[in-house]
This record gives sequence, structure tokens and C-alpha cells, in this order.
Amino acid sequence: MAKKGAKPGLEIRFGERLTPARQAVRSALTSGPGILWVTVFLLVPLLAVIAMSFLTRGSYGEIGLPLTFENYTRLAGFGAFGFDPLYPLVILRSLVLAAGTTLVCLLAGFPLAYFIVRLPPRGKQIALTLVVIPFWTNLLIRTYAWQILLGPESLAAKVASALGLAEAGRPLYPSLGAVYLGMLAAYLPFLVLPLYSSFEKLDWSIAEAAMDLGADAPRVLRHAILPQVLPGMIAGMILVFIPAVGQFVIPDLLGGARTVLLGNAIQQQFGASRDWPFGAAIAFVGMAIVMLGLSFYARTAGKDSEEALL
Amino acid sequence: MRKLSPFLVALALLPGLSACAKKEEAPPAPAAAEASAGPTEPTGPCAINLFIWSEYIDPDIIKSFEQKYTCKVTTEVYEDNESMIAKLQAGGTSQYDLVVPSGYVVPGMIHLGLLAELRHANIPNLANLDEKFANPAFDPGNKYTAAYQWGTVGIYLRKSQAKNYKPSWNLLFDPKQQPGPFLMMDSIREMLGSALKFQGKSVNTTNPAEIEAAGALLIEAKKRSQGFEGGVGGKNKVLGKEVTAAVVYNGDAARGMTDDPDTQFFVPDEGGVIWVDSLVIPAKAPHRDWAEKFIDYILDAKVGAQLSNFNQYATPNKAALPLIKPEDLANPAIYPTPEMMAKLELVGDVGDSSKLYDEIWTRVKSK
Amino acid sequence: MRKPSLPLWLWAAVIFVFLYAPIAVVIVYSFNSARHGGPWQGFTTDWYGKLFDSREKIDAAKNTLILGLASTGIATVLGTLLGYGLSRYRFPGKKLFSRLMYIPVVIPDIVMAIAMLMFFSLIRDRLGLFDLGMTTMIVAHVTFQIPFVAIVIRSRMIGVDPAIEEAARDLGATAFQTFRHVTLPMILPAVVAGAMLAFTLSLDDFVVSFFTTGPGAGTLPILIYSSVKRGITPDINALSTLIVLVSVIGTLAGLFFQRPRRSSGES
Repeated sequence: MAKKGAKPGLEIRFGERLTPARQAVRSALTSGPGILWVTVFLLVPLLAVIAMSFLTRGSYGEIGLPLTFENYTRLAGFGAFGFDPLYPLVILRSLVLAAGTTLVCLLAGFPLAYFIVRLPPRGKQIALTLVVIPFWTNLLIRTYAWQILLGPESLAAKVASALGLAEAGRPLYPSLGAVYLGMLAAYLPFLVLPLYSSFEKLDWSIAEAAMDLGADAPRVLRHAILPQVLPGMIAGMILVFIPAVGQFVIPDLLGGARTVLLGNAIQQQFGASRDWPFGAAIAFVGMAIVMLGLSFYARTAGKDSEEALL
Repeated sequence: MRKLSPFLVALALLPGLSACAKKEEAPPAPAAAEASAGPTEPTGPCAINLFIWSEYIDPDIIKSFEQKYTCKVTTEVYEDNESMIAKLQAGGTSQYDLVVPSGYVVPGMIHLGLLAELRHANIPNLANLDEKFANPAFDPGNKYTAAYQWGTVGIYLRKSQAKNYKPSWNLLFDPKQQPGPFLMMDSIREMLGSALKFQGKSVNTTNPAEIEAAGALLIEAKKRSQGFEGGVGGKNKVLGKEVTAAVVYNGDAARGMTDDPDTQFFVPDEGGVIWVDSLVIPAKAPHRDWAEKFIDYILDAKVGAQLSNFNQYATPNKAALPLIKPEDLANPAIYPTPEMMAKLELVGDVGDSSKLYDEIWTRVKSK
Repeated sequence: MRKPSLPLWLWAAVIFVFLYAPIAVVIVYSFNSARHGGPWQGFTTDWYGKLFDSREKIDAAKNTLILGLASTGIATVLGTLLGYGLSRYRFPGKKLFSRLMYIPVVIPDIVMAIAMLMFFSLIRDRLGLFDLGMTTMIVAHVTFQIPFVAIVIRSRMIGVDPAIEEAARDLGATAFQTFRHVTLPMILPAVVAGAMLAFTLSLDDFVVSFFTTGPGAGTLPILIYSSVKRGITPDINALSTLIVLVSVIGTLAGLFFQRPRRSSGES
């Protein structure tokens, strides 16, 4: 409701004259503290992380100069013992895991979102509540529970050994498969909720028109439904992919030290390995991936992006 | 006396404990006067922040200390030395009052300025320590440390699942002898040291090729294993029947055997590592005088015996020996026989080469 | 619209079983009488009683609550102001900062945790402040809570008809009075929703707490993690069951609060 006043920069909004100076003061009072807090306690530290990644780690774990690119060359594979594609593989593995998780969540979640949208209003509420409850339950608890579900005497282990997929009496974790299960269980609601949102706003008449014109189910899906739910779908995929890349708890509890991913690689450097500069380098790569993902999203989803994320 | 002699013999053979110290940096020069001043009484209300290995101290000892001095003792636990040092380096030196590192990390901690000196006048019970532990190579003169417990690392398994096993590291390293799902210990020097011992090398080698070879062995074993776990976690998972075997500390295993007679601990024939843990006070501990009181309390003969009878590790306290349970004294899992001692090697500081160990370990965990 | 077909029902059932199996198994095994965990040995409710004897667990619960309430309080105030400010006023660099506010939402929590750990270390070396403990944890939690609260408020503000605020201004109210007596009551359900969101985020958080905690300040998630690393035991399952119960009740309460609003901002 801004009406441009006679003077440039002056707006008349909600019945008052807002000079730029006034807006600045108002903004400082309202948005100021929040922005200041996040800037000081997160954005500045992130810059510190980048700076730290160029420092050196001494023999006892002390940190200091000289400035060096060593941490990045080590990340690229050139460590003290010669070339070893260890870390490039860790990063690749994390990206593949995140992508795989996103895909599986999509395949599992799409029919579920469609299912919920077809329920009567009461049923919708119940179904959505059922989806949301695990979402709000502690991730740590839900994840360690998979250790019990995949233990050596568990139903899952027995089925797996009966099918010849695993030895009898062995737990099904730590393993990449266990990590996938844990990730799926953790991230499915993240995808279903935005996707459902889009389904809710769907204009079914388009689909009906397509069917009247003789299109079969796959074509209706592809041309009438998919384009409409795309914003919610993409939002959901981003909400899964980006945190999944840096996930630490799930690979730690379900992958043990047998499947090291970006998240645990970082944690290791801040734990027993005591190599903060190297850990900072890995974290920086993680951040870069997140930033790339976000800008890709902003570009493809356009101005609906922020709204869809809500 | 008959019961004490195996212990004394074992002690006499304890290799490397009083040997020449490895090269160390001189610690920051302290006021010598402080160390030799008269005893000071703690002032202010008693509070202690204890940072210690899990399942390592008898809760009753803490309770009785709390009652005796109207104290509040908060305990935090860790599962390996390196994570503990990481916590101290991240700021814990001004927050914890007592920590219990293994001997081999002490020179590094001194070098990093993480420790406060012990004022012997406040810890008269230091005299109770056996001579071997009163002047350890990693801290001559007990300037910073007071020995807590000592022990070994070996394999702990469930007998009914590991039929006809040979007491060898090959249970882990030879695919054909694998007894079932197993865990390795999530601790750099103990695990790499065990692999080195198996390969006939010194646990304190600084030869990169040898360290790398030990790492390669662990990487191969990891593929067949359930991964890495702290000593206590491994012991619990054997008890919980999640795995058949695990690499654990001997005291935890001894308690496990009491709980479940189907389990068994042994130090493999090829040999293994010995470690000595000590109580230390971080440099900026908020309750230094109370911490010294606590150390003195632990070194008391009765309390020392209560401690070892609880956690079933070997005591360095010669005054406590007569009060140790006879079955523990006779238990080779707790007090190794002379033959076993000959094959055990004390983990020591490797100075600059610790960076090599760290990098190989990171590789082992990440591959 | 037609009711969903049978295959869809089956699919949904499978998914729900999958989502709830972990929760169910934790609850069931909290009654297992096997002391070291592992296979089912028998039924007992002993572990729940023992929970209240454990000083460690009670301290952790206290810390979790203090942390949650303190951080939520601060974050709700700052976040509400931020959400309101972003929706009403312009300032140079606003677009940039809006984007930057999303960083705590999407950043992997371990990256955020180590960044704060590093930052606190640096400050401690120079100024002696920020010893790791409850204070650092509160600061860290507020940092990731603020954007979430701001997003909720901002989305609600879109649905607020500016005409009402304009009317208040026409009647002579100052901007502050308008906010306090007109706008705030209108967005109050969103503020409450934002607060509950922030509180849940704090309660659930493990990674950030793990890296910013200090002696005596351990929270329930940290306690559960270190216990689980040493082997899952029934008493931890009992503790987890209670936590799950609290979450479920909290979620249902939160959803109930949000229901009357028909407009924007479903979680």
C-alpha cells in the first residue's frame, strides 16, 4: 500500500509518512536486534571458519600460522602418505547419499501426499498430524531406535538372512543401507509437507480437462499435475537434500566408522583427531555445497521460492 | 606373602615405566617455591568438576567424599584420550578440576600448558604409590600426575559363540578365524598399538611405513567388523549379545565376566599394550585446592582398594594392596603373569610422530 | 474428489508403520528386563522408577528445560520483532539480509556447531568470556531459533490487513502503540506458534548443544547420545519414551493452537 509521495524516497504507508530516515530507525529497532544477533553469532563465526581453514595444525593439536593451502590439498587427496582419494570420495558419497535420500523420499512421499489430499477433511487432519508427530520427535531417539530395529536378533535381521542378504546373527548396521533407512525415516516428513501444500492448491479442473480430452493417466500426471505441484516438490527436495549432505547423527549411529560422510568427517576433526584447520576446510566445502544448492533453488523456483519454503 | 608376589613380579617387569624419558619440551617454568611450600587448606565451598573415563570410578567413593567434605561433585565422562584433550583445548582447562589421562598423552598436555602442578604438601598420600609409579617416565617426580589405575587391552568375547577360539589377534585380523561380528576399540594408540604388536613392531614406533602397515591391517579388518567402539561400549555390546567379540580394557572385561560367565577376556599371545592412567588438574581449574584434596582421598589405602575392587583394574597404590580382593590379585586378566608382562609394551609419547598416527587413524576411520 | 484407492491406502499404511516403528520399539524395549539391553528377556517397569534416582538424568532434564525456556524467550522476542520489521519496513541491504536469515535454517547443524565453537574459543582467548556452558548453549540456540520465529511471523504478517493498522494510525496512535495494541493481538497465535516451534527446536537439538556445552550443563539429548554410544539399555529407552510422550503432547497442543487460523502459515 505504498503510495509514492511528492518527494523521492518518501513513502506513505499505513497512514504515516515514512522518510528513509524513519524507516531506518524503525528497521533498526525491529529487525536490528535479530539481524545483529545472527550476524554476530553465526555469520561472523562462519567467516572465522573460512579463515581457520588456512591455518596449520601443530604436532600436539595446537593451531597457528603459517597460512597454508595444505588443508585443501589434503581434502583433494594429497595427504602426508601420498595420493589417496579418501576425502573426495567422502564428499562424493555424501552428495550421492543426499541425492539418493531425496529421490527415495520423493518416490515414497509423492503417493502419500496424493493420498492425503484425497481424504475427507477430517481424515486429512488426522493424516497430517500423524505425519507431523514423528517430525517433531527427537531425531536422536528415532535414529538410535533403528539400532534396535536392525539388531542381530531383530525381525529385520532374520528376514534379511532368510533372503540371503546378510549373515545370520549379524546386526544390519552399521551399513550404508541402515543409514539410508535412517535418513528416509528422518526426512520423509520434510518432503511430504511442502508437497502436500502444493497438492492442496492444485487446480483439478486441468487434470479433468486433460482426461476429457483423452489423455491417459501418465500423461495427465506429467502435463496437468506435475507442473502444478512442482514448486512444493522442489521446495521439499531442497529441504531434504541440503541438510542431508551435512547430516552427522544418522551416519554416526547407523554407519559407525564404516561409512564416513561429510558430517562425521567434520566431527572427527573437532573430536579425537584434533585438527581444527582441516575440519574447517571440510566445513567450508559443506557450506559451499549448501550455498550452491540454495542459489540454484532461488534461480529455478523464482519468486515463489521463499513462499514455498514457508 | 604369596598373594602379593605375582603383583610385585609383574611390577618389576613393567617395561618402560621408569625407563629414560622420551625427549620432551621443557614445561613452562613454574614457581618451584610453590611446589615445596607447606600444605594449604582449601577455602570456599567444596565443588569439583570431574572429567573421567566412563564406568571408571565407584559412585560410592564420590558419595562418601561428598559427605565428608559437604561437596558437590559433577562428573562428565569420555571414552578416549584424544576426545578428552580436544575438550580441554576447546576451553575445558578453566572448567574441569580433575581429568584422568593416559600416560602417553601427558607429555603433550604438559607441552601445551594444559596442566597445573601438583602441590605435594597438599597430597601426603602420594607416598602410598608404589615406587614404579612414583616417578613415571612421562612425568618425573609426579610434578603433574598421580597414578590412578593401570591395565591392558585385549579381546573380550562370548565363549558359546566363539567355539574353539585361539587366543590370538588373528581372531580379528584373519578372516578365517573370525568368531562372529566384532568391534574394534575406538582409540588411536591402543588399537594401532595392538596391530603393531601383532605385526611384531613396537607400539611406539616412529617409522611411517610401519604405522601405515598397521593402518592397512585395521582397514582390512574394519570391512569385516561392526566398526569401532569405545572400550566400555564394546564390553557392553558383547554383554548385550550384539557382537561376539570386542577389543576392550581389561578391567571393564573383568567386571563383564563377573556379570556373565559366558564371556571371557584375554590378552592375545602376540602381545599387547599396557597403559597407566593418572589424575591431573587442568591449568586453570576453578577448584584446584579441592581437587588436590580429592587426589589425596583417592590415594588413601582404603579408598584406593575400594576403587580397584569396584572397577577391577590394577592399583598402583602399594598401601591399598593388602585390601584388594584376593580373587582379583590372583586374576591374570587384572594382574598379568610374568610371561604375559614380557609380551606387553607400555604406550609412550611419540612426540612429533603423533601427527602420523593421527593421520593414519583418520584414514582408518574414513575409508 | 474420489476417496483414495486401495493401493494408496496400503502404501500409506506401510509408510506410517515405517515412520512409527522406531518410536514403538523404543517404548516397547523400555520394559525389557535385560540389564545390558539386547534381546527381550521379560517385562518390568523398574527402569522408570530408577530414572528418578539418577541425579545425572534429573540434572540433564533441568538443564534441557532451562535452556529451552531461556532461549525460546529471547528468540521469540527478537524473532517477532524481526519478522514484523522485515514485513513492514525497508532498509538498504534488506534483500541480502533476508536471504542471509535463511542460512541457519538450511545450514548443516554440524557446520553451525563448529563455527560457534570456534568463535567462542577465539573470544575466550582474547576476552575471557564465553566459557562453554549454559550461556554458550543459550546463545547458540537463540541463533538458530530467531530465523524460524521470524519466518512464521513474517508469513502471518502477509495476511494482516494493513487497513486496520492504517485506521489505528489515523485515529492518532503512534507506531509503537499500533504495534502493541493492534498488530500484536492479531498475530498473537503466530507468535505462540513461533515460540512453540523454537522451544521444540531447542528441546530436540543435539549437535549444536554437543559442541557448545560445558561441565554440568549437559542436556537430555547429549546424555542419550553418550549413553547410546556405550550400548542401548532399557533405562535409556525409558527416558526416551518419556521424552517422546512430551513431544507428542506438545505437538498436538501446538496443532490445536494453530487450527482456528485458516490463513497462511501451516508448518
